[in-house]
Amino acid sequence: MAKHGAIIAVLLLSLLSPAAMGSAAVLTDPTGLYSTFIGDHWVYQAHHSSTDLMVFYGEADHELLYFQRLGPVAYSSARDFAQRSVELYGAPGGLEEFQLVGDFQAVEVAGEWGVSCSYSYQDGQGNTLWEYRIFLVLPGGEGFSIAFSDSKPEAADLPLLLEDILHHWRWLF
Amino acid sequence: MVRNRLRLTCLILVFVLLLGAAAPSSAATISARFERTLGSGTAPALIKEYGGEYIPPIQQRLWLEEVFARLTACVGREDVEYTLTVLNSREANAFSLPGGYVFITRGLLNLIGGDEAQLAAVLGHEIAHVEKKHGVNAVLRQMGLTVLAEVGALALDFISGELVRLAGATLVQVLQLGWGREAEFEADAVGQSLAVQAGFDPIGAIGLLDRLAQVNSSEEPVHLFSTHPDVQQRRQRLETALGSFWSEPVVVGDSKVLERLNQGRNSDQSGRTDPKGRYMLELSGQPGGLRVFDEQNREYVTWVPQASVREAAWSPQGDYLALLVEAEAGGEVWITDRWGYVVEQLKVQGDVAAFCWSPHGRALALDVVGPGEKRVMAAYLGEKAYVEVSRGLTAQGSCWLDDGLYFLHNGRWYQTQPPEVVQVRIDHPVPVVLQRKRVLNPTLIKEGNTYRLTRPALTLP
Repeated sequence: MAKHGAIIAVLLLSLLSPAAMGSAAVLTDPTGLYSTFIGDHWVYQAHHSSTDLMVFYGEADHELLYFQRLGPVAYSSARDFAQRSVELYGAPGGLEEFQLVGDFQAVEVAGEWGVSCSYSYQDGQGNTLWEYRIFLVLPGGEGFSIAFSDSKPEAADLPLLLEDILHHWRWLF
Repeated sequence: MVRNRLRLTCLILVFVLLLGAAAPSSAATISARFERTLGSGTAPALIKEYGGEYIPPIQQRLWLEEVFARLTACVGREDVEYTLTVLNSREANAFSLPGGYVFITRGLLNLIGGDEAQLAAVLGHEIAHVEKKHGVNAVLRQMGLTVLAEVGALALDFISGELVRLAGATLVQVLQLGWGREAEFEADAVGQSLAVQAGFDPIGAIGLLDRLAQVNSSEEPVHLFSTHPDVQQRRQRLETALGSFWSEPVVVGDSKVLERLNQGRNSDQSGRTDPKGRYMLELSGQPGGLRVFDEQNREYVTWVPQASVREAAWSPQGDYLALLVEAEAGGEVWITDRWGYVVEQLKVQGDVAAFCWSPHGRALALDVVGPGEKRVMAAYLGEKAYVEVSRGLTAQGSCWLDDGLYFLHNGRWYQTQPPEVVQVRIDHPVPVVLQRKRVLNPTLIKEGNTYRLTRPALTLP
């Protein structure tokens, strides 16, 4: 009986492990700020990325995931950071047809509290895109942002794909 | 026109007589008000002429605002409120109007790209025109009011109306012709100095002139040049001024620094070691070029076969290799890229005896022998600009460390520092919003036993 129990536990663990999630890889930020698991269907985009920006394309036509380090910021809180950003996204020179979808919400990313929000806008080809974004001011005053966008309105809610990435998120400081 | 000018002069004379003993401080305020009125009255027509106002994307706008704010924080005139407007024109141009109205076109911004020093140079130049009242003085001069310039402004403020309209029309005419040769030279000097005070590299002004000259000769004419003095003269003056931004050489007393300096140049690692680890240099000092062992291809290659190389050193980042080459006039420094192709030859008067890289890899310290005394020159790559940093002191050797450039004079080390450059940092940045780029897939075509990749067809959205 105990033997069966152990087998079941191993099976459960293997099912829960990242390797069983349709194969995933550990992503460690080259600057050593964070790590997480990224599913294989996310394709890293070297031409978009830099030391401070990591960009991935998903399977769908407009699916996009990116993490950005912004360096030291003078924002006193993540809410200020989010508010100012949204204000500029909606201002001239910002995003076309920008619309905030829902209120700011507090969100926890591996023990750090940030603010999330979602919005829609129009890209250069006239497609409406929805984006879910988290704003964080990390200890030491560094700004950080996690964003997920797609052409489906569901992207405005915390998508399952991102939920999984956030679940495995670890800060390396 | 002559009748108008006469009438205007009479009017002003009457007002000056009437106003008599106005306090000088109020005259200054009134003058600033007149400038503001003149500028604000002319700005809308100019904005329209240049395709209207352009609002740059958020990130670029924040960067622009930060550079502009840093510059305007260093100005001397407190009676001017500066504003920056980006114009929706492809023409590379920038100008300013009395009262603090500064304009730059989208075309010039594109040309400058992300170069902070060059942006600071052009904005500094335009701010300098306002600081020195070049615009308003040119207008008054054109209207025949040279002598009455300051006092006239006092009276003009009370007349306003027709007079301001007339002055505005004159301003547009004068703007097409430029503020004058001496005004442009002065704006160059004041602008460069302003850029340094604000923490930007003064070399930006020279880099910008070179870039504009390149565009001017290759593509469409750059309007910015048509109203300005000869580029070579401006460049020469800006280059001469570079030296004034370096600190006066001082004797080094710090024993730790002296210890490091006495170990000799490139003490942390030999300049012959490729920072990227691919090439090994073998210097023979004989004609026939530089023998290099390529670790990647496991073979020897010869670079610059036409030259006799006395010394070689990689830049700190390993992007360039500096060679001390035996030339007719003595030692000369050539710069090659990572594949041994000469990209620049530094020409200085005299024989270069030795050199060392700056920590950022954008400049070199050259030990130059003759004509006259031995001296140390800082050579800026790309801009090909030179500064004598030893300031007339006989220098026997140099070493460029993180905290400054050092040279040996009469057995003692002296330190001099280049102007401090502070990179633009935005206090309240905003994350980028990205969109997916179209992925272009090439087609694989089988031709006999070989495969060929076709160039992907680009379809515009």
